[in-house]
Amino acid sequence: MNQIEAQSLSFSWGDTPILHDVSLSAEEGKFIGLIGPNGSGKSTFLKCVYRVLKQNTGCVYLAGKDTRKMKYKETACLLGVVAQHNQYDFDFSVKDVVLMGRSPHKSVMERDNAEDYRIMRETLAEVGLNDFEKRSFASLSGGEQQRVILARALVQQTPILILDEPTNHLDIKYQLQLLNTVKKQAKTVLAAFHDLNIAAMYSDEIYVMEQGRVCAHGSPAEVLTEDLIYQVYGVHSHIFQGVEGYPYIQFIK
Amino acid sequence: MQKIDLKDGIFKGLPIYICALILLSIGLILSILYAVTVGSADLSVEEVYRVILYEIFHIGNPEKWGSGATHDIVWLIRLPRIILAVGVGAGLSVVGVVMQAIVQNPLADPYILGISSGASLGATLTILLGASLFGAAQVGLGAFIGAMTVAFLVILISNFGGRTTSVKLVLSGVALSSLCSAFSNFIVYMADDPDRFRTVSFWLMGSLAGAEWISNAWILSIVLISVVFFITQSRILNLMLLGDDTAVTLGTNLQRYRRVYLIAASLMVGFIVYASGVIGFVGLIIPHFVRGLFGVDHKKLLPLSVLVGSVFLIWADVVARTILPNTELPIGILISVVGAPIFILLLFKKTYSFGGKS
Repeated sequence: MNQIEAQSLSFSWGDTPILHDVSLSAEEGKFIGLIGPNGSGKSTFLKCVYRVLKQNTGCVYLAGKDTRKMKYKETACLLGVVAQHNQYDFDFSVKDVVLMGRSPHKSVMERDNAEDYRIMRETLAEVGLNDFEKRSFASLSGGEQQRVILARALVQQTPILILDEPTNHLDIKYQLQLLNTVKKQAKTVLAAFHDLNIAAMYSDEIYVMEQGRVCAHGSPAEVLTEDLIYQVYGVHSHIFQGVEGYPYIQFIK
Repeated sequence: MQKIDLKDGIFKGLPIYICALILLSIGLILSILYAVTVGSADLSVEEVYRVILYEIFHIGNPEKWGSGATHDIVWLIRLPRIILAVGVGAGLSVVGVVMQAIVQNPLADPYILGISSGASLGATLTILLGASLFGAAQVGLGAFIGAMTVAFLVILISNFGGRTTSVKLVLSGVALSSLCSAFSNFIVYMADDPDRFRTVSFWLMGSLAGAEWISNAWILSIVLISVVFFITQSRILNLMLLGDDTAVTLGTNLQRYRRVYLIAASLMVGFIVYASGVIGFVGLIIPHFVRGLFGVDHKKLLPLSVLVGSVFLIWADVVARTILPNTELPIGILISVVGAPIFILLLFKKTYSFGGKS
C-alpha cells in the first residue's frame, strides 16, 4: 500500500490556478524528492498534502485513508512536517518546542508525562542536540533551529515525514547532517528540494514539477537529464555519473 | 559568579514554580492587609482590622465595629476597592496573555482589538447623550455594550473571505478603533459641555473608586472562571503562539478555538471596563514580565500572571490614592507614567526582549 497517494490535486488562489491535476504516490519507506523552479507549485502541493491548504478537486490518501474525512489530529499522527521558516515572536525553550510535537497524541487537558520527556530527550540526542533542552530556541543558529523543528516532527512518531525545502539557508554541513538524520529513519519521506544535487543524493524517486503540473517522475538517473533540466529550469548542464552511485549535475554558465 | 537565570536555572523546575506561586499568594494577602490600612481617612491599624474581623468572623462589639463611619470607610469603601483591584489586575493580565496568544503577538494588550475605543464610545454616548437611561450604572453599562459590540464586529469582519487570521483580527480592530474614536470625538466636539467632558475623560483614565461588593462578586467570579478555563486550554494557547500552519501540522485547527477565546476575553474586558474604566498597560506589561522570568508555557504563565497582576494593581492603587495630597490620581495615568519607562527599560536590557526572545 502506498503511504501517500495524491490523486489529481488542483488548487487555485482566488482566480489564479496554482496546481493542475497533480498526482503522486509514495511507497512505504521510500524517499521521494520533489523538484521544480520557484513558483512551480511544490510548496502548495505539499501544503495540500499536509492540509494547511485545501485542494479544490482531487484527494489525498494517507496510509489508505482519505484526508478529507480525517480529523487534523489523525493526520498529525500520520505525518510530521518540517517547513522552511520557523521564526516565532515568543521565546520558547527548545524543550517547549519539541514537546509540542507530542500534542497529536494528547487530549486538550492532558499533561506531558515522563514518557513524553523521554521521547523528547532521545530525539534531541538523535538530531545531535543533547544539551540543548533548556536553551532558548530564538538564540540558536539556523541549522540548530531546523534540527529542533526536525526533532519536533520526529517526536510525533509518524510513519510519514514531509520536508518543505528544509535545508534552505543552511550550510552544506548542516544540510547533510539534517538529511542524514532523516534518511536513517524508517519513514516514508516526501521532500521538496531547491538543490538538484542534494535531491539526487537522497531521493529514491524524483517528481519534477513545472507550472503546477508534474512533468516527469522516476529514479534520479532517469529524471535528471540535461534535456529535462534545460526544459524545466532553462539552464544548460552536464550530468555525470557520480562515484557514489547518484548523478551529479554541473551547471554551465 | 554564577548568573541566576530564573528561566533556565533555579526557577525552571516545578518545585521552584510552586514556590513562586506560594510566595506570590502570601504577597497578595499581605498586600491586601497593608493596603486596607492606607487611605486619606485617619484610621489606626487596629480599628481597620477590628472592622474586618467583625465582618468576617463576627468577633467584637457590633455597635462599635459593625456600623458607623469607621466601619463604612473600611468595609464599604477601602476593602471593596482593594478586592476590585485584585479582580481587575488578575483579569487584565489574563486577557493580556490570551489576546497575545490569539493575535500571536507579544505586544498585544487587552484593548488591541479596538475594544477600548468601543468602550469609550459607549461611555461617551451614555454620558453626553443618553443622560440617565440606565440609572447610576449607566456609564459602565454603556462601555460594556460598546466593548462587546466592537469585539463581535471584529470577529465578524475578520471572518469575511475565509479564515480568521491574526493579521485580519488586528487590522479590523484598528479600523473599528479609528471609527469609534472618530465618533467619540465628534460627539464630544459637538456637545461642548466641559463638565460632562471631564466625566468622560476621568472615566477613560480608569478608576477603582466605584467599587461595590455586588459588582466585585461578578468580576471575581468571571475572572476566576475564565482563569480556570484558560488554564485548561494551556496546550492550545501554546500552539497558538506557533501560528495556524504549524498548529495544523500538530493536529489542531485553531480557528474555532480562537473565536471562543476571543468571546471569553471580550466578556472579561467588558466587565472590567464596566467596573473600572479603561486601565491600560497592565495587560501588556504583566504577561511580558512573567514570560521573561518563567518562560512562555501557559500552564505556568496564567496563574503567575494572575497573582503578579493583582499585587501590582493593589500597589498601583495605593500609590494613586496617596501620592497627591487631598486628591486622587487616576490610576490609568499613574500606570502609564510608571509602566512606560519600565517597559522601555525591559526592551533595552540585553538578556530580555519581546516575550524573552533574545
